[in-house]
Amino acid sequence: MDREARRRLEEYRRTGAGPFENALIDDYSAGAFNRRELIRRASLLGISTPAIGALLAVFGEPAPAFGAARAAASSSRIRVGIIPPPSGALEPSTISDLGGLQTIGIPGEFLARATQSKTLLPELATSWKTNKSATVWTFKIRPNVTFQTGQPLTSADVVATWQRLATTGSAALSAIGGYVTPDGIVAVDDLTVAFHLETPVSNFPYLVSSTTYQGIILPANYQTGTFVSKPQTTGAFELVAYTPGVSATYNRYGGWWGGTAPLAGVDVTYYTAAAAADAALLGGDVDLLGQVQLSTDRALFSNSSVKIFTARGSTHREVPIRVDENNPFKDYRVRQAVALTLNRPQIVKTLFNEYAEIGNDSPFAPIYGLARSVPQRKQNLRQAKQLLTAAGYEKGFSAKLVTEQLGEIPELAQIIQSSVKDIGIHLSLSILSVDAYYAGSQTGPPKGWGDTPWLNAEIDITDWGSRAVPNVYLTSALESKGVWNAAHYSNKKFDAAVKSFLGAATFDDQDKYAVILQKILLHDTPVIFPYFYYYLAAGTPSVSGYAADAVGQLYLSKTSLT
Amino acid sequence: MARFLLKRLGLAIITLFLVSVLVFAVAQVLPGNIGRNVLGGFATPMAVAQLNHQLGVDRPVWTQYWSWISNFAEGNLGTSLQYRVPVWPLLQTSLLNSLKLAAVAFVLVVPLSILGGVFAALRRGRLADRVITLSGLSLTAIPEFVSAIVLILVFGLLLRVLPVEATAPPGSGFFTQVKYLLLPGAALTLVLFGYIARMARAGTIEALDSDYTRTAYLKGLPTRTVIRRHGLRNSVLPTIAVVATQIGYLVGGLVVIEKLFNYNGIGQRIYTAAQNKDFTMLQSSVLVIAIVYLAASLIADLVYSLLNPRIRYGGAA
Repeated sequence: MDREARRRLEEYRRTGAGPFENALIDDYSAGAFNRRELIRRASLLGISTPAIGALLAVFGEPAPAFGAARAAASSSRIRVGIIPPPSGALEPSTISDLGGLQTIGIPGEFLARATQSKTLLPELATSWKTNKSATVWTFKIRPNVTFQTGQPLTSADVVATWQRLATTGSAALSAIGGYVTPDGIVAVDDLTVAFHLETPVSNFPYLVSSTTYQGIILPANYQTGTFVSKPQTTGAFELVAYTPGVSATYNRYGGWWGGTAPLAGVDVTYYTAAAAADAALLGGDVDLLGQVQLSTDRALFSNSSVKIFTARGSTHREVPIRVDENNPFKDYRVRQAVALTLNRPQIVKTLFNEYAEIGNDSPFAPIYGLARSVPQRKQNLRQAKQLLTAAGYEKGFSAKLVTEQLGEIPELAQIIQSSVKDIGIHLSLSILSVDAYYAGSQTGPPKGWGDTPWLNAEIDITDWGSRAVPNVYLTSALESKGVWNAAHYSNKKFDAAVKSFLGAATFDDQDKYAVILQKILLHDTPVIFPYFYYYLAAGTPSVSGYAADAVGQLYLSKTSLT
Repeated sequence: MARFLLKRLGLAIITLFLVSVLVFAVAQVLPGNIGRNVLGGFATPMAVAQLNHQLGVDRPVWTQYWSWISNFAEGNLGTSLQYRVPVWPLLQTSLLNSLKLAAVAFVLVVPLSILGGVFAALRRGRLADRVITLSGLSLTAIPEFVSAIVLILVFGLLLRVLPVEATAPPGSGFFTQVKYLLLPGAALTLVLFGYIARMARAGTIEALDSDYTRTAYLKGLPTRTVIRRHGLRNSVLPTIAVVATQIGYLVGGLVVIEKLFNYNGIGQRIYTAAQNKDFTMLQSSVLVIAIVYLAASLIADLVYSLLNPRIRYGGAA
């Protein structure tokens, strides 16, 4: 072991590291996780690259190499297809759709950027750290950054941006609501911002990273509704023209703090039909499609001249089963029986080929590496029938599954319908348009769930996007007072374990609570999580330096055309 | 003639008023919620209500109608609820694009169909007639998305002689723009050829069987002159009426073609607006199409009256 490296590490533990950092080092020393996970967790805590390198050197591991090598600046412009177009106005605080987040994400930058391996890279924050209880997170802001308006970036801009996002009406509240209030975000000095949280959150930096796509840092004097009218972000590209539903044009920003981007610009065309987008890629009209799906773009997957970009993530479908209605589903054994009828490996193979991973009826996607010690639920028709008999429904029953016409969901609905038929449950399907599925009121607890189909059907299927951490799934979809608790599930033990999980400092503690949560969910089965699928994009072989992002961000600052 | 025109204009204004009421009423009963559509399924109810209030869609229906129609009459088409930008610049571009595509399709399909129909009529009952009639009927029966995909595959992806998209790069010249519109124009030609050709054929047969044609023959006029002076002139009358009724479809009804060729036409605008409950965009777009349709009908009436003296002089109006 390198004595000098050990000396530097010990010095860091004494002078720079807090309890979270020391716990991390202890966990790694004890072999709790591998090098990759260490880098990811260290980045979450804002440990600097040299400090991570010193720690790895102690154990004879190479230092991390962040960031792809960047190509030289050229006059090439990349043609990108985005499907579907942004669904509303381009206002970062209210963006909630893929087209919108991709459009604003090209010129936008965040405090930190999450990579494919879920490592957090410093972007407009250079480092961050927390207090002992994970209730205060302090971010150092990158100096010498200039907005495209010519103003320098200071902590006032970060505070103004995040105060806007923590206010009613912001779509970012789905990620940070309940943790941060506008008053809790304060400037410590010109280049330091502190977030005082309402409750301990050990993975908070993820929530202010690129995974919360509304979190693009804008000038303090930004006027709502002016995002399109003038370039005012800090990224490598500036938005110079935008026609809703048609196109967007970006030019290279000469004052980018990161240097000069390889591409001279980005020309976005919006598509509403997958067939048109596929034809454009195959016909050479675009270089990159921001998102493709196996169910709608099969022609691309079998074409050798198309490069498929993948990103593991936690995008998934949830099958909530109402636990509070006077019907057979009220009995947990019936819900377990339904879950046991599913042949998950076969479902994944049919719907996604190799681009998905099976779920274990909890939001702990394989990419999180949590609760992996709990055995995977497998298809077991015999046990399913026994459970149904024990619950008093040996002759089966009828029910209605409501869902939306989106992606592969109708096929999944048919698979579930066919699977439960084997144990005598006859499901009728009601497949609504996306609009109709989300229509109606949703008052949220304690007032109830309104009348919207997606929160009130006895059993349904809902699409959920990827998150770097499972917080939102746990607090919104499964906690007793969760605003999107479609199963109307309520379990005090579960709620307490969620709270413990969110505040857990070490990997061991997080895993410990994840195991508790996983076991409760397998027993109660309020929601079936059949799979977690990859984010997919497609491009021509000439596209290099681009990596798909689990949330769908189009980060093109280091992309080039060869 | 002036009376005829005034009468048509008066009817057009009444029609526009009725269309405005109808489209407004239809927009109101569309399922969904603009605030929910813009903010997404996971937005909080409070945020949705706040946005709906900002957009003014929580006002009484009558207030909303009056606000929209009075502004429209003054040339102010309002602000898109979905994109929160003025409607007219978006609509103007889409309308212009649709008119371009309609023009290309018109130039392709009208002469081809009339020639085909007249030729079939002149070869009535013979092989050429059967080929034109049957192939026209078959092509009309094929949905436009099928013929469009086949055209894209063959000419765009296999032979690579025509672009698969309909939008020419910015700053393109006239011929480049036409080149980009050829494939969608061809797809529309395939759909409309059979219908218009059959009308032209029927009109020509009727004209050729008429007393005045027989009289012309008996006067000793050569066949070519009879067809040119008496046959064609009378046979295109019903065809003009048919073509005029297709203008509305060609300008505003090409949603599928526009989607497949990713063309920013007014059909897609209306479709997207209807999907997202963008009332102002939807209502204004439909009303603009109604104006185009009525203008086309008026022009058709004028042409019809020029070719048919009975209408020109009030005989059969």
